[in-house]
Amino acid sequence: MADKTMPIFVPSEKPVKVVKWKVKQGVFVSQGQILFLYNDSSGNVTELKKFKAIRAGTISSIKVKEGDIAEPGGAIAELEECRHPTVMKEMCAECGADLRTDEVTSRDVAVVPMVHSVPELKVSEELAQKLGREDAERLLKDRKLVLLVDLDQTLVHTTNDNIPPNLKGVLHFFLRGPGCPGRWCHTRLRPRTKEFLESASQNYELHVCTFGARQYAHAVADLLDPEKKYFSHRILSRDECFDARTKAANLKALFPCGDNMVCIIDDREDVWRHATNLIHVRPYSFFQSTGDINAPPPPENEKTKIASGLNGAAQGNQMPTLDAEPEQKEKDASKDIESKEEGGNGKILTKDVKSNNTEIKKSEEADQESDERIVQDPAESKWTETSDGQIEVEDPDDYLIYLEDILKRIHKHFYDLYDKMGKNQIPDLKCIIPEVKSEVLAGTSLVFSGLVPTHQRLETSRAYQVARSLGAEVTQDYTDKTTHLVAVRAGTAKVNASRRMGDGTAKKFHVVTPEWMWTCAERWERVDERLYPLQRGGQSGCRRPPAHCSSPPPAHAPPAAAAQRKRTPSGRFMDTINPLLSFSTDDIADMDREVEDIFNESDESSSDDEKPGDDDLDDEENPPEDRLISVSAENSLQDRLQDSQEAEGTNGSDDADEEPRPRKRPRRSSPPSDEEPPDDDDSSWNLMGAALEKELLAQD
Amino acid sequence: MFYHISLEHEILLHPRYFGPQLLDIVKQKLYTEVEGTCTGKYGFVIAVTAIDSIGAGLIQPGQGFVVYPVKYKAIVFRPFKGEVLDAIVTQVNKVGMFAQIGPLSCFISHHSIPADMEFCPNVNPPCYKSRQEDNVIQEEDVIRLKIVGTRVDATGIFAIGTLMDDYLGLVTQ
Repeated sequence: MADKTMPIFVPSEKPVKVVKWKVKQGVFVSQGQILFLYNDSSGNVTELKKFKAIRAGTISSIKVKEGDIAEPGGAIAELEECRHPTVMKEMCAECGADLRTDEVTSRDVAVVPMVHSVPELKVSEELAQKLGREDAERLLKDRKLVLLVDLDQTLVHTTNDNIPPNLKGVLHFFLRGPGCPGRWCHTRLRPRTKEFLESASQNYELHVCTFGARQYAHAVADLLDPEKKYFSHRILSRDECFDARTKAANLKALFPCGDNMVCIIDDREDVWRHATNLIHVRPYSFFQSTGDINAPPPPENEKTKIASGLNGAAQGNQMPTLDAEPEQKEKDASKDIESKEEGGNGKILTKDVKSNNTEIKKSEEADQESDERIVQDPAESKWTETSDGQIEVEDPDDYLIYLEDILKRIHKHFYDLYDKMGKNQIPDLKCIIPEVKSEVLAGTSLVFSGLVPTHQRLETSRAYQVARSLGAEVTQDYTDKTTHLVAVRAGTAKVNASRRMGDGTAKKFHVVTPEWMWTCAERWERVDERLYPLQRGGQSGCRRPPAHCSSPPPAHAPPAAAAQRKRTPSGRFMDTINPLLSFSTDDIADMDREVEDIFNESDESSSDDEKPGDDDLDDEENPPEDRLISVSAENSLQDRLQDSQEAEGTNGSDDADEEPRPRKRPRRSSPPSDEEPPDDDDSSWNLMGAALEKELLAQD
Repeated sequence: MFYHISLEHEILLHPRYFGPQLLDIVKQKLYTEVEGTCTGKYGFVIAVTAIDSIGAGLIQPGQGFVVYPVKYKAIVFRPFKGEVLDAIVTQVNKVGMFAQIGPLSCFISHHSIPADMEFCPNVNPPCYKSRQEDNVIQEEDVIRLKIVGTRVDATGIFAIGTLMDDYLGLVTQ
């Protein structure tokens, strides 16, 4: 935009003498300010007139000196009009001009809202660039980067439900909005949040970027940072977001010089339009019945799916209806921690976890009887009542330790590169973050088994993309370089082939479950493969990527395949059709035998719960090859059982119990909600067996 | 600028208050309804000093509510362009700073802060600091500013200020 300079002309028809200048060159004058005193040069000296500025601006040059005579039509001085580079509430913040009435001045000069919490304050593109450059220089000088922090399910979890008032570590606050009665919010900070913020603020300038309302965002920021030393005023909330569905639109305004020093942590990938400088964190869920209370509205075409409960699965498994996965994940997590601490002494450990779980379940039931509403997940947290009447909840979430480490690595990588590059060159975090991530599994070569549906191309599967982003190579079949086999269950062709190859050659690869890969993706480090051995039974459901690796399907993608997978926990096509119609008589006979076996088995052992523990141990202690030889009588019985089932489900564990049920009751006719009553005991087996026999008789 | 002026207001009263305390309730209601409000014309009503008269109440047909016209005197605060005021800094950022003059919010752009004062975002709280480091403006400080523009709405007033004049800036007690 060109400078608006306007000359100040001689104010009369006759030549005038400038007696005294009241302003200097380069000075800002406001409208109506006296610029100079003059009189008519015709000699009437007594009559001194004042010349006032017609409009605000800067005196850019003075053409006529004091005492000189100016001819009519000639310019006395030049006034550069204020270009209103900073605008607050449609009022120029520099000259005070009201831009609402002043239609002549182009209103779109100041368009960039640079201050997080004050969207009315806008600055011009030019000024924004200048400020952005200053920011970048300052950050480089301090060797810092920018970190945009999401609140809900990243650092905190908030619920509006009624919860017991004496939960330890849960903070309560009341929000009163204009025009609404207000609500209580109960917020739980993710474990180690304070330490995380302290450590991150050493290397990063922290900004809050949340979809919560402004009041909520400020309230939570106040809880996280009462001294305002981490976030200061850098809090962006839904009220300041340009777009209700994405936060990415605001980036350009906050960082006018580009976002190449910006790193983002969020549990939702889609709100950043899958930006490469995003670290997709594992969603934090503490109150089991509540999801993200401030989630953005879903795209139009997904609304119908919400009604059928499908979107819940995509949104991060926090809904209580989806019982299987979070529970299992937590179980795995706690198992990890403990086995790490005690050096993988599996035998006692797994039993400990199991017995803990049963204990918790018992206490949970007792609680439920007395309390009207319980929001905790029994497998997730342990409740203990302390002497002062507070309920302490065990929270096994340790994600922030890993996140802290990831951020440190990224920072180091950035400044290593910056030092290597010449001056005036700034590396781009959008390249560095994928680079850091791709070092995680660099040099490994994976083969997937049972992970990608056969009708889907390998390259389009989520698992492939996750593995590639971690720097691993993925091949369709074995090559010389193959280092890992990621298998959903034992007994597939590739797993069997791996055994043969393992025997034949000296080279040995790791046979791991997909959990291994998901954990690597979560922590950005190569997790010890021994923690994720492929069990004989395999785990159903882990084929679906966990929340930190997946995101709601983008609006344009055809969600058919994804939806199909979500509907069945095992993900197999087999479960989606009425199995009784497609089974041959041999199959049904097999099943009959299976039922008989189970009856025998339940006679042998009083409790099913202890068995998976024992079985897990076998797998952890013995490599799969040895296992084939040294199996106990009971195990061989179970093996037979599994072979007939195509090795699905762990023996007698919860997963296995849930597996056969869909066969009896075809999925398609039932609403696709994944809601299964979690009663897994012998009586249900008996019922199932009876039902199966009835069906059999009817067919014959 | 402060004014002590006469104003009028109508109080709408529910019939349940009809009783011996009626006029007290009208007065009470007046205080709660007008103190702290803002009109574009008179500015912020700071305090009601005297109630001159409570007129005859008029019962609304069909409702039973009664309307009392009340004449009262109040102290009002009306900011004007060119006025010099003392303010308390509430927020400091790279674009400028926000200050509060009682009920009035005011913004001072970076451009209107003397050029020798630089923004320092790294200290907590952030501040504007002169090169000699002898002049620091940060949150909670008292500054003297001149109003260069006001945005008067029906329900509120917002001001733009400047520190670019003699005797403006940090007020040292």
